[in-house]
Amino acid sequence: MVTQKEFGHLWELLSEIPDPEIPVINLVELGVIRHIEEKPDQDKIIVTITPTYTGCPAKKLFQDLILEKLASKGYHNVEIISQLFPVWSTDWLTDETKEKLLKEGISPPTIGDKIVQCPKCKSTDTKMVSAFGSTPCQSLYTCNICSEPFNYFKCY
Amino acid sequence: MKITIENKDAMSVIRLADTSVILAQRLAEMCSNGLTLEEDIALSNISLDLFGRADELYKIAARIEGNKFTPDEYVFHRNEREYYNIKLVEQPNHDFAWVIARQLLHDIYAKELFTQLSTSSNHEVAGLSQKVLKEIKYSYMHSHDWTNRLGLGTAESNERMQRALDHLMKYVDELFNFDELDKKFIPDPEKLKAVWFSEVDKILGESNLKRNAVAPPSMRDFREGFHSEHMGHLLSIMQFLPRAYPDAKW
Ligand SMILES: [Zn+2]
Repeated sequence: MVTQKEFGHLWELLSEIPDPEIPVINLVELGVIRHIEEKPDQDKIIVTITPTYTGCPAKKLFQDLILEKLASKGYHNVEIISQLFPVWSTDWLTDETKEKLLKEGISPPTIGDKIVQCPKCKSTDTKMVSAFGSTPCQSLYTCNICSEPFNYFKCY
Repeated sequence: MKITIENKDAMSVIRLADTSVILAQRLAEMCSNGLTLEEDIALSNISLDLFGRADELYKIAARIEGNKFTPDEYVFHRNEREYYNIKLVEQPNHDFAWVIARQLLHDIYAKELFTQLSTSSNHEVAGLSQKVLKEIKYSYMHSHDWTNRLGLGTAESNERMQRALDHLMKYVDELFNFDELDKKFIPDPEKLKAVWFSEVDKILGESNLKRNAVAPPSMRDFREGFHSEHMGHLLSIMQFLPRAYPDAKW
C-alpha cells in the first residue's frame, strides 16, 4: 500500500535518475516527469512523463530507468503514461539547473538563443559553429575571447 | 500482414507520418556521407527529429484506429502503394544541392502545415504540432542558410541548386491538390498554398535562384498511394531487415 508520505518520497526517488546524455541533471530537473499518481486501491503508481524531443534517442530509456528505479525500492506495479501536452520547454529549467549545466561546461538555453555565454571565461562574445551538435538538443559554439569550443543547450 | 487504415482522421495523420519517415530515411542515407563533419551531424540530427515525429504521429493514428497496429508495423509492413507520403520527399540524394532544395521545399510546407495544425480540434495533433514547430525552426534555419550560400556562392553551386529545384518543383503541384480529407483536417488549405509560394519565392529571390515553370510528371496523386520510381528502392532498403528476420529485436 502506497501512503501519502511515501508518495512525496517518490519525487525524491525519481530525482536520483540522471539524464542519460547530460548526467549532471536529473529527470525531475529536466522536466521529463510531470505527475506521479498513486492508486492505493490497486496498489499501483502511475508516472506521467513528457518527451524532451520527439526524436530523442533516450525516449525509451527514460521509461526503463524509471521502472528500474521504482522496482529497486519494491514498486513493481507501475504504469508510465507519455503525454505531449503541455509541450516540454527549456523554459522549465530552473536557474539552479542552468547553473549546474554551465558548471558542467554546457551553456544553458537563453530566450531566443540570443545571449550565449562561454562556460569557461563567462564571456558572451561567442559564435555558433554549427546549429547541430553532439546530441539533438545541443549546438556547437566557440568563444571569441578564450577560444573555448563548447556545447550550447538549444532553446526549445 | 495486411495493414488497414479505416478512420479518415487516422488516414490524414498517416499521410503526415509517411512524409516524415520517408524524408527521415533519405536523410539517414546522408549519415557518414555529409560534406563536412558538422554537416553530417546536422543532417543526421534532422533525420532523427523526423523519425521521432513520425513515431509520435503513427502512435496518434494507431490510437484512433484502436491500436490494431504498432508504429513499426505501419513502417515496415506496408508496400509501396500503401504509403501516402508526398513524392517530393522520396526524391534521391543526387547531390548536396538536391538534399538542400528538397529540405527547403519541405520545411516551408511543414512549417505552415504544423502551424495550422497546432490549433487542430484533435488535442494530440495540436500538442504534437506545437512541439514539432520548435524542431522545424532549426531545420528551416539550416535549409534557408544553405539555399542562400549555394545560390549566391559560385556559378557551379548556383547552377546545381537551380537544376535540383527544377527537378523537385515537378513534385510540388500535388501538395496542393487538396481532397475532402485535407479540407476536413487542415484548417486553411488555401492559405497553406499561398504561404508556401510566397515564402519559396522570397527565399529563392534573395538567393539568385528562380522558381521555373515545370510540367508535373504524369503520375497519379500521393493520396492514392502513387509514387515515383525511387520509392520502391527506398523501401527495399528500409524494410529489408524486419521482413527478412521478422523476429529480430533491437
Ligand atoms: Zn571564453
